[in-house]
Amino acid sequence: MKGKPQSCLEIESDLVAAATGDAEPGAARRVERHIDSCPLCRGEFHRYREIDGMVGVLRGVPLAGESVARAREGLESRLADLRSRLVSYRIFPSPLGNILIARSEHGVSLVEYLGQRSDLAASRLSRASGVEPQEDGAEIEALYRELLEYLRGDRTRLEWALDLRLARSDFHRAVLRATAAVPYGAVTSYSGIAAEIGRPAATRAVAQALRWNPLPIVVPCHRIIGTSGALTGYSGNKIGLKQQLLGVEGIHADGSRDSHVARESLYHYERNEQREYCLPTCGDIARRPIGRVTLMASRDLAASLGLVPCTSCRPDLHPLAV
Amino acid sequence: MMGAQPFETIVGAHHAEIYRYIRRVTSRATEAEDLSQETFLRAYRAYRTLGPEANVRAWLFAIATNLTRNHFRSEKRRRVAHQAASVERRETDPDGPEDAARFGEARMLVETTVGRLPLKQRQAFIMRKIHDLDYEAIGQSLDCSSESARAHVFQALRKIRLSLDGRALPPTITEQPR
Repeated sequence: MKGKPQSCLEIESDLVAAATGDAEPGAARRVERHIDSCPLCRGEFHRYREIDGMVGVLRGVPLAGESVARAREGLESRLADLRSRLVSYRIFPSPLGNILIARSEHGVSLVEYLGQRSDLAASRLSRASGVEPQEDGAEIEALYRELLEYLRGDRTRLEWALDLRLARSDFHRAVLRATAAVPYGAVTSYSGIAAEIGRPAATRAVAQALRWNPLPIVVPCHRIIGTSGALTGYSGNKIGLKQQLLGVEGIHADGSRDSHVARESLYHYERNEQREYCLPTCGDIARRPIGRVTLMASRDLAASLGLVPCTSCRPDLHPLAV
Repeated sequence: MMGAQPFETIVGAHHAEIYRYIRRVTSRATEAEDLSQETFLRAYRAYRTLGPEANVRAWLFAIATNLTRNHFRSEKRRRVAHQAASVERRETDPDGPEDAARFGEARMLVETTVGRLPLKQRQAFIMRKIHDLDYEAIGQSLDCSSESARAHVFQALRKIRLSLDGRALPPTITEQPR
């Protein structure tokens, strides 16, 4: 556009905008006044209007080789794959050190003690295959609040949907499900869980499965102890944590290195047809290996499990001192 | 804050448009397929953090625009896209009455010119003139002010006008409503 007067050059961008329906009202009026007196720009204005009309037509014209449906189909499949892989997580401080909580679309998939560390690299989530971790917020914050209430003893249940994908095998998942059924305020033994899942000889494998429990606290592996009543182990060497978690539930263990639960302060239930539970002083029940015995911190818990007081030792008449 | 609608609704409402936007910007169906899918996968990852008041459509355009820009950082890909724009013109030349042929030719010329615009101008032009996004949204997508977005569209129209220099457009075309 060489040789154009300065006034035409100055108004060019407004002219294009006005001709293509894009000008502010003030600019459109200026353009109108200008093209009234400038035939060259009037011609340009009309030319841009023609172009605008043509561009308008382009909107409705499909492009060659367009395949929206195929792209959509591919998207659905990739989205399904992403959904199944995506695990959102956050790391929070807690009285037990830093804790990572992670969840997928199916449920909570990981609760992990990180100690002093507060980065994803410290977590097994960063090494899990088939998982895409994503730091995320609000929903996990709600889980964290519930967990804190639980650790304070203000809540006895974490009714979370669980996703057991991070467990190492179907056997581990079976162990975790059986463990999840042990109620708040009760303990049973590794061998009791082995019997429960129909693998009575697999006590050591049960202990291994719980060692790799991806959901400690939620799947209460701290409620599973040795047949002697010894706490035995927890999340590596965190026996103190196990003691602390059981203490919140009213189950006390002595503080020595080889801690045992105090059986004399717990009600005992060994499977029987009458579903009777006993005082620890009933016969030799408290001296027998725990095996399939469940120990309970309170009579209320026994009642909530549908158990009735033993007619010999009468725990209903002789409650244990709390 | 969780987005207000289920993500499936977002896909249903916007996928075809985002696909067509990328299809126009890249001039290639396979890239449009892949990049439109990638746009929604990224959106899915971030959707939970999107406020309920957010303009989802503008947000998706911004993701698509960024992905396309990253994609075009490779010179090789850019060259392929330019070739595709030319090939497409030849493939779809219409047969028919004189006006239709004249229109078809002019349309192809516009599309080819658009396909050869610098990327930002092309994206701004397509977002504004084909998808009717406002300049603020376009500016956010392109990481520039709305004034710059407006300038990109102006430059694009100017180049299209130059490419059509001396060609008569059939009168019926100019009557098409926008």
